[in-house]
Amino acid sequence: MCDALLEVEGLTLDYHTRGGVMRAVDDVGFTVGRGEALVVLGESGCGKSSLARALMRLLPRNAGGLGGRVRLAGRELHPLDDETFRREVQWQGLALVMQASMNALNPVVKVGEQVAEPLRVHLGWERRRALARAAEVFELVGLPGDFLRRYPFELSGGMRQRAVLAMALVAEPDLVILDEPTSALDVLTQAGIMNALKRVKAELGTGFILITHDVATSSELADQVALMYAGQLVEMADAATFFSAPGHPYAQALMASVPKLRQRERPRAIPGEPPSLLDPPVGCRFAARCPRRFADCARLPPAFALAPRQEVRCWLHQQDGMEDGV
Amino acid sequence: MMPRRSWGRDLRYLALYLVKRLLALLVTVLIGVYLTIVVANMGGQVDELRRVQIRSEAFEQVRADPAFQEMASAERNALVERRVALEVERLRLDEPFVLRSVDYLQRAMRLDLGRAEQMHSDAGSRRVSDIIVERLPATLLLFGTANLLVFFVAVGSALWLSRRYGGRVDRLVIALAPSSAAPGWFYGIFLILAFAFLVPLLPPGGMVAAPPPQGLAYAISLARHMLLPVAAMVLSSIFVSIYAWRTFFLIHASEDYVEMARAKGLPSRLIERRYILRPTLAPIITNFLLMLIGLWSGAIILEQVFNWPGLGSLLFQAIGFRDTPVIIGGVVIFAYLLAVTVLLLDLLYALLDPRVRILGEGRGGA
Repeated sequence: MCDALLEVEGLTLDYHTRGGVMRAVDDVGFTVGRGEALVVLGESGCGKSSLARALMRLLPRNAGGLGGRVRLAGRELHPLDDETFRREVQWQGLALVMQASMNALNPVVKVGEQVAEPLRVHLGWERRRALARAAEVFELVGLPGDFLRRYPFELSGGMRQRAVLAMALVAEPDLVILDEPTSALDVLTQAGIMNALKRVKAELGTGFILITHDVATSSELADQVALMYAGQLVEMADAATFFSAPGHPYAQALMASVPKLRQRERPRAIPGEPPSLLDPPVGCRFAARCPRRFADCARLPPAFALAPRQEVRCWLHQQDGMEDGV
Repeated sequence: MMPRRSWGRDLRYLALYLVKRLLALLVTVLIGVYLTIVVANMGGQVDELRRVQIRSEAFEQVRADPAFQEMASAERNALVERRVALEVERLRLDEPFVLRSVDYLQRAMRLDLGRAEQMHSDAGSRRVSDIIVERLPATLLLFGTANLLVFFVAVGSALWLSRRYGGRVDRLVIALAPSSAAPGWFYGIFLILAFAFLVPLLPPGGMVAAPPPQGLAYAISLARHMLLPVAAMVLSSIFVSIYAWRTFFLIHASEDYVEMARAKGLPSRLIERRYILRPTLAPIITNFLLMLIGLWSGAIILEQVFNWPGLGSLLFQAIGFRDTPVIIGGVVIFAYLLAVTVLLLDLLYALLDPRVRILGEGRGGA
């Protein structure tokens, strides 16, 4: 199950802003296996969406260079020129479900045409065949096939989201990046979409990167969890370990901030705000908000291996497994 | 869920919608034309001027006619009064203005524009419709050429610029945009000065050379005469048009669905056509059609500066002569054209935008 599908090493992305150069993605590395789901967790502004953009090469105009290495199914992506990337990687290798997908469908083109479009453009399929395939994917994500003939405004928010998901899956990509796919939806619709995702994952064996700030929903799909803070990965662990025994003080604080049913314990907010990425602190980026900071935090910690599948960027774990937190 | 759609329903809805729009537009035209009639007659005050004019004309005629030289002055005055009364009755100036204005309105709405009071066409006709029709081709040719040129060049280069947003050409266009603060005739004066007098390459005004040449030579002469006014108009509006369209396209190029299309790896030509132009077709066409009807009004000062025999200078002369039928005639034609264009736009919107088409149907069917 775990032969590497996507390997990311030392990925960086800079933005040029009025205030100077801002490193939104800073030395991020992870691996996603075939049919595996990686959840990237983090609060707003921590660089999650920039990570998605960096992987998809959807860079805004003020983006500086991309650094690091990305390998998809054994193929190095960064050396590819834009045209090759567009033709060969986009949508067949990597597909994206965007954050604001309420508006991700062209209002004047029928949904079916938009879902079938990648097949026609990238694979040169004729219209009828592409639409038949789109109908199959519609069934898979739980939409009736005759919705293909509708316009986006005739679908509810949840249906639109399913249609966008169908669009991402239509060309059977190796990996789908979901950027906050359910944030704008109500709880029931969220659950419906998450169920559809689980089914797709089981049936197609597609890899997923699910980017979210929602700890509760993400736990349903996750095989691995990567926690981002101020542009960096601060913890990387398999899901069971992360949700039961988070290592980084930020991860622990984040878990404590989630409301739980049938427990007297009240959810605790994390005081303070993430640091500005224009002028990040020299040492550990979480230090200013950390309840357990000490002298070492003035230096940037490397990632320490805490368990076989858990790495934590925190000086508390300098001696392997000594401090277990909680 | 929505009911299944059918062509029959679509058509029935469309017909109902068009009838409603038609009625609304008719009322609009009615109000517009009536206001023009009232304003052009200065609420009836022009009648007083006309009465004075009739009286002085009648007096002059009687005084100048040798047949009445020997007449006693009381008798002569009675004759003048009779003539004035006759003329007043002919022009129905004895009736209250309100009554006549309704009558005018009724005739204007039937496009019965009547006869001019002072002016006549070059061919000698006094019918307002003849006078207007004679001037129309000149205006349409000049303004059509200039505005079509500006429109297509602006939209095309704006699309090109929106891809190079922030580049050198883009900044140049932005810097030049304020040049449109000056109207076309302003540039016209300098162009005439430069290319007709300092370097006499082109004629300073008029539409063709004095004895109009025949055949191909006519076309060449026409083109030479059109060059300066067209250049003046293009100069005064091209940069701001490009700037406006570029901003328009930039806004629409940052829509989520355009971003999505980029993520899908679609070729940029396809993105431009299907994801930027197609959803924005309705406002583009609106702009185009409004520009087209704008052509019909001509431009008073520009036509004066270039001595161009178009509708603008006609209107200018008509105002000078207080020739109300000609002024009203021009406005009536313009109002009808505007109404027809707006109706056409409503129809096009319904055809182009599924949101208008289908949502409207839902409402119409309910």
